Amino acid sequence: MTRFRHLESVLWALTMLGIAFIGVGQSDSSLAALSIAGVLIAGAALITVPASSGNRFSLALAAATAVPLLIGPIFDFGGAVGAVAVGFLSGWVVLQLFGSDEQLATADSDFLRQSFGAFLFAAFYVALEGAAGLWIGPAGANLVAAVAAALVWFGFETGAWALTTYDRVSRRYLLRLAVEDWPVAFSLFAVGALFAYVLPELGWWAPVVALLPYSFAHIAFFRSHLARVTYSQTIRSLARIPEVAGLSPDGHSDRTADLSVAVATELGLNPHEVRMVEYAARLHDIGRITLNELNIIKVGFTDDDIARWGSEIISEAPFLTEVAALVRQQHDPYRRPGERKDPDLPIPSKIIKAASAYDHATSELGFSTLEALEVLHRGAAYDFDPDVVEGIRHVVMLGEPQR
Amino acid sequence: MQAVKVKLAIAYAGLGAVALGIAVATQEFPPLRDWAPFAVVAFLTVYHAVEVNDHLTASPAAMIFLATAVAFGAGHAALGAAAISAVSPVTKSDIAERRVALSVINWGQTVVAAVLAGFVLEPFFPSGAWSQRDFPLVAAGAMLASMVYHLVNWGLVSLAVRIVYRKREVRPWSRMGSILRSTVVMGFVGGLLGATYHLVPVALPLIFALFGVGYLAFSSLSELREAQEATLRGFIKALEAKDLYTRGHTERVAYFSQLIAERMNYRGTRLERVRWAALIHDVGKLAVPRDLIRKRGRLEDGEYEQLQVHAHVVEDLLAEVEFLRPMVEIASGHHSRFDGGGYGGTGHAHGNPPSQEARILAVADAFDAMTSTRSYRVALSQEFAFQELRSNAGTQFDPEVVEALVQSVVESGERYGSPNLGSEQAARLIAEGKGRP
Repeated sequence: MTRFRHLESVLWALTMLGIAFIGVGQSDSSLAALSIAGVLIAGAALITVPASSGNRFSLALAAATAVPLLIGPIFDFGGAVGAVAVGFLSGWVVLQLFGSDEQLATADSDFLRQSFGAFLFAAFYVALEGAAGLWIGPAGANLVAAVAAALVWFGFETGAWALTTYDRVSRRYLLRLAVEDWPVAFSLFAVGALFAYVLPELGWWAPVVALLPYSFAHIAFFRSHLARVTYSQTIRSLARIPEVAGLSPDGHSDRTADLSVAVATELGLNPHEVRMVEYAARLHDIGRITLNELNIIKVGFTDDDIARWGSEIISEAPFLTEVAALVRQQHDPYRRPGERKDPDLPIPSKIIKAASAYDHATSELGFSTLEALEVLHRGAAYDFDPDVVEGIRHVVMLGEPQR
Repeated sequence: MQAVKVKLAIAYAGLGAVALGIAVATQEFPPLRDWAPFAVVAFLTVYHAVEVNDHLTASPAAMIFLATAVAFGAGHAALGAAAISAVSPVTKSDIAERRVALSVINWGQTVVAAVLAGFVLEPFFPSGAWSQRDFPLVAAGAMLASMVYHLVNWGLVSLAVRIVYRKREVRPWSRMGSILRSTVVMGFVGGLLGATYHLVPVALPLIFALFGVGYLAFSSLSELREAQEATLRGFIKALEAKDLYTRGHTERVAYFSQLIAERMNYRGTRLERVRWAALIHDVGKLAVPRDLIRKRGRLEDGEYEQLQVHAHVVEDLLAEVEFLRPMVEIASGHHSRFDGGGYGGTGHAHGNPPSQEARILAVADAFDAMTSTRSYRVALSQEFAFQELRSNAGTQFDPEVVEALVQSVVESGERYGSPNLGSEQAARLIAEGKGRP
């Protein structure tokens, strides 16, 4: 039984019901207006769009922006909050009854987060509108208040998502990742606000004016999502080629990539750098597909050759030039004896070098975690960057990387 | 070609100037303070236009032109929109590549389109102040104006392409048709937003935010296309790194497949799919042990099967990339015979006839195999290859496809393979150093 299974969600639902009763009871808006608002939010909550962090935003963000703007202003805070509660509650019930397993997996935390975000928005909007009205006069006050309240909501949404998402990477990193979702949140807020602004003037044309542009945004975000999926699927398949050809050990690239990403987030790299680390780690052995060539079998090869061939292959794809450079430097030591350390060696390359060595020790040489760390520690400050070794120690001592 | 381009640029610039002149003579300029923000946004959108494919840049500029036209209403529409299109003439890549003539041509045609769209709108505007009830009529006008704008735009662009490149068909631009549909809707949305501005001026920042959303739609389209192309290029490069013989072979097979497919009236996505399938058709070789690839002479039965197993492992791997799946199916079907014999790959059980795309690929592959030098024999002559394909037409190859190849190769005047080398035996002997070259 996957439906209605979490006690805390049932408690949340009861809370919503309470807020709805109190809010609607206090409201002086017509019951019809409040129910239309509720239905609007409930329907919108069922339409979701994927963002770059992996979070899914629902159209409820737009609807719950519009509702307080329409019925909230100063006189009817109760009505706005009540309608929001009714909307999220009914959307949640519909999803519990008819949702797919995939939707249900994150539904509880999504609804919890979004509903409280919406209450925050309504509260800040009402409070700020009063304050801004005193300061700049009523004309622009509601727009300023809406923008500020939307910022608060976005901050809450990203923060709460980063805290509640279970992943192998650090919370700080998830937060930085979530902030990159701003275009999605921005278009949802803009659509909601536009709807609220034009409804009194345009009536039934308001949904058309607001939703037609939104449909473009929706398609755009789905396309971006597809592009991301394509990139990652490609890189995974490409990385597996040397493995299925029996030229590099099975699963090595996956394990190296998992460990590298965990270490990269541990060391505080930004989301773009972490993505580069992941791609480069997956592809770091791609140069091995050349090992079938007859002349190579005769002459032999070095680790540096593998790095060079790999980067040549990767550099063919324009979006991967940065990755090609990282793969090229994957075997460069942190510091050669008697020399100073190379300041230009990129951190991602250093991470991949150490993570690959760690996986080689544990998976192929049969070393235990401690023995493998010992290998890294012995090479620290020569082969490996001490900071990276420390990062790996942190990650593997806290438990094997997940996923 | 340069001279033609310059002449055309002068003609289009003249056309644009005349259109602008008519607009200036008949209409009043909208209040500059209200108009300027639209102009700035339009300039930025055009400047950051996204390259959808080779040299076809697209931006939601039409959305902004139409929004301006509707926003400033009766007596201002054509001039307001035309002035905006006139001040936003260049894209970033125009400047980077110094495409002066092209920018001028573009300037002329967008101005003409904007002026015409503005005049089409005129009769739809209510006289006097607007109210909510006028909205449907203005919306209908916006739809019509958007259609007119895009038709004029499309007509003038294809005319220019036809004159400059002397092609009856605008093949590289063939995607424009599919883009056109969504830009017409976008223009309509622009019109709606313009009407919204007219009724609720406070909403201007939100309307500009939605212009940004429209821009996002275009940039995501090019992002997706780039992701897909980069994917293919990555795999092909990996294949080439593996095997020198393959280099060139895949590209030639892709070229022959395209020739055949074009003759058989493939267009757009379908044509592209055949070409891409040809580019990856040998990717299965990546996992084949080296001694099998390089083996001189014919493969023995066990080895042949081993080859297939390896090839299928990689095909399965490729099929994990979703958008490649149809192409992998074509590529893996290309060893099946026309009459249903032979082995097939993913989705091609023994005895099932291959798809037409796979049959095209099979002929292109066989033709290049015969007319190029292999490890065990030198290239055969083109005539021999034609004869061989024709004699196996109906059994191994599709006769229609074989004829399409023969005709298009003969028509192109290109020649492949060694001249006058008419037998497999002789070609093998030369390769072994025993025969007369």
